[in-house]
Amino acid sequence: MAEVLVLEKVSRRFGGVQALQGVSLSVGSGEVLGLIGPNGAGKTTLVNVVTGVRSASAGRVLFEGRNITRLQPFQTARIGLARTFQIVQPFPDLTVLDNVAAAALFSQRGTRLSEAREFAAEQLEFVGLGQFAAKSAHTLTLAMRKRLELAKAVAMKPKLLFLDEVNAGLNASEVDHAMVLIRQIAKRGITIVLIEHLMKVVLTVCSRIVVLQNGALIADGTPQDIVNDRRVVEAYLGKKYAQLSAARG
Amino acid sequence: MLILQILLNAIVLGSLYACIAAGFSLVWGVLNVINLMHGSFIVLGSYLAWGAYKALGVAPWTSLLIAAPVFFILGYGIQRGVLNRVIAAPVLVTLTLTFGLDLILNNAMLVAFKADYRQLVLDPSLGSLSVGSLVVPVDRIVAMIFSLLLTLALFFVLRRSRVGRAIVAVRMDRDAARLMGVDVPSIYATAFGLGTAMAGCAGVLLAMIFPISPIASGSYLGKAFVVCVLGGLGSVPGAVVGGLFLAIVESFGSLVLGPENAVTLSFGLLIVFLIVRPQGLLGKRGFE
Repeated sequence: MAEVLVLEKVSRRFGGVQALQGVSLSVGSGEVLGLIGPNGAGKTTLVNVVTGVRSASAGRVLFEGRNITRLQPFQTARIGLARTFQIVQPFPDLTVLDNVAAAALFSQRGTRLSEAREFAAEQLEFVGLGQFAAKSAHTLTLAMRKRLELAKAVAMKPKLLFLDEVNAGLNASEVDHAMVLIRQIAKRGITIVLIEHLMKVVLTVCSRIVVLQNGALIADGTPQDIVNDRRVVEAYLGKKYAQLSAARG
Repeated sequence: MLILQILLNAIVLGSLYACIAAGFSLVWGVLNVINLMHGSFIVLGSYLAWGAYKALGVAPWTSLLIAAPVFFILGYGIQRGVLNRVIAAPVLVTLTLTFGLDLILNNAMLVAFKADYRQLVLDPSLGSLSVGSLVVPVDRIVAMIFSLLLTLALFFVLRRSRVGRAIVAVRMDRDAARLMGVDVPSIYATAFGLGTAMAGCAGVLLAMIFPISPIASGSYLGKAFVVCVLGGLGSVPGAVVGGLFLAIVESFGSLVLGPENAVTLSFGLLIVFLIVRPQGLLGKRGFE
């Protein structure tokens, strides 16, 4: 499996806070990687550093073998890195269709507006928002906005897609629908890094999981390894519980 | 008949106002920069037309072909080289910066061209059109047609082109746009370049009608301000509606109150609008 994304000892500091400390990680082509960790562990910072929203204080980021550590966000978007946002942010006054068309239009050079709209319409059908195409984006419910984020991200024809908490705030059936979509996106050959709090989603969808805590990588393995890893249980549930569950065997 | 004649004059003037204001409104709306150089760019455009006609015999409407790219490059360069450095700062900082740059540009024009009023007189004159008792000089009609064409062109660039959609996207949400692959600093520079090109072209057209002097820059800037507020900030249709509205009010106002009160009237209107309807006549938030 070829490596799409490689992080080499990436660090990021905000004043006195070490948000990422020497994180090394590689993501294989076609993989669905789960990135988990407690609140404030540095998950979103990691995505921000890779996509160029924040610069790395130290270390290198390689995408398809190319050093992208110093690229601007619009440049990473054009070479095939896309992301969704924890806090959804559509262009409120544009229609749902044009929101997606904007993503298709600006991420690839030489796209025409009509082509972008056509491609956008297909992506809207894909996420099940086809009937809302002409509606203004601010009229959508939260669940629909999350799906709109997915459509926008896919419309950028990414090679690597970061999904940042696409399931937060959704109910059970909406989560199930989102999981189906994520699987279908993966089937297109798009590598996915999934940031997620719902363990059910991570354990079913991901083939491999990495765990961040206080900006450092503390575990990397299959879903089975991760649920049995003592440090992970500690990070999430506290030392006492980890000792207790270990004692129980 | 007098009323029709005044209305006709107002429409000619209003379309020029729209052309003056469209670029100003674009820059203000997209970059949140109040470009105090706008008036001086207009005057510089007038000098370009005047010089080209005087020295080379190039007609003003042909000068547009030179003015548009030259002023675009000028604006693009100023934004890229100077304004982009402070674009994220509060509006007072960019306002002060454009104020300073305007002082430089305006005084440079005073040194180069003196404060004398100059006039671009077409020879032979284009004459005038008369229908019944209504009379309009042909040069004014030409200026009106070209300013409407330019404004329409700006509208379609923003509506239909890739770069136009990127400008709209940046206006709505700069951060989201850049994550989709929009090169924000370059879009800022393009928007400022378009605004400057509109100013330069408006200046070329105004040269056919009004006397030219660096001193006139303040009054052009004032018109741009008022039109933006009347029509609604940040939209091309807003600039057209605001421009026509201002010209009609001014024309009929000078009929009733005397021409010396026209400027007072337009700024009085500005104050009324700021209190009663600050979003302007069209009052749209997105730049469409």
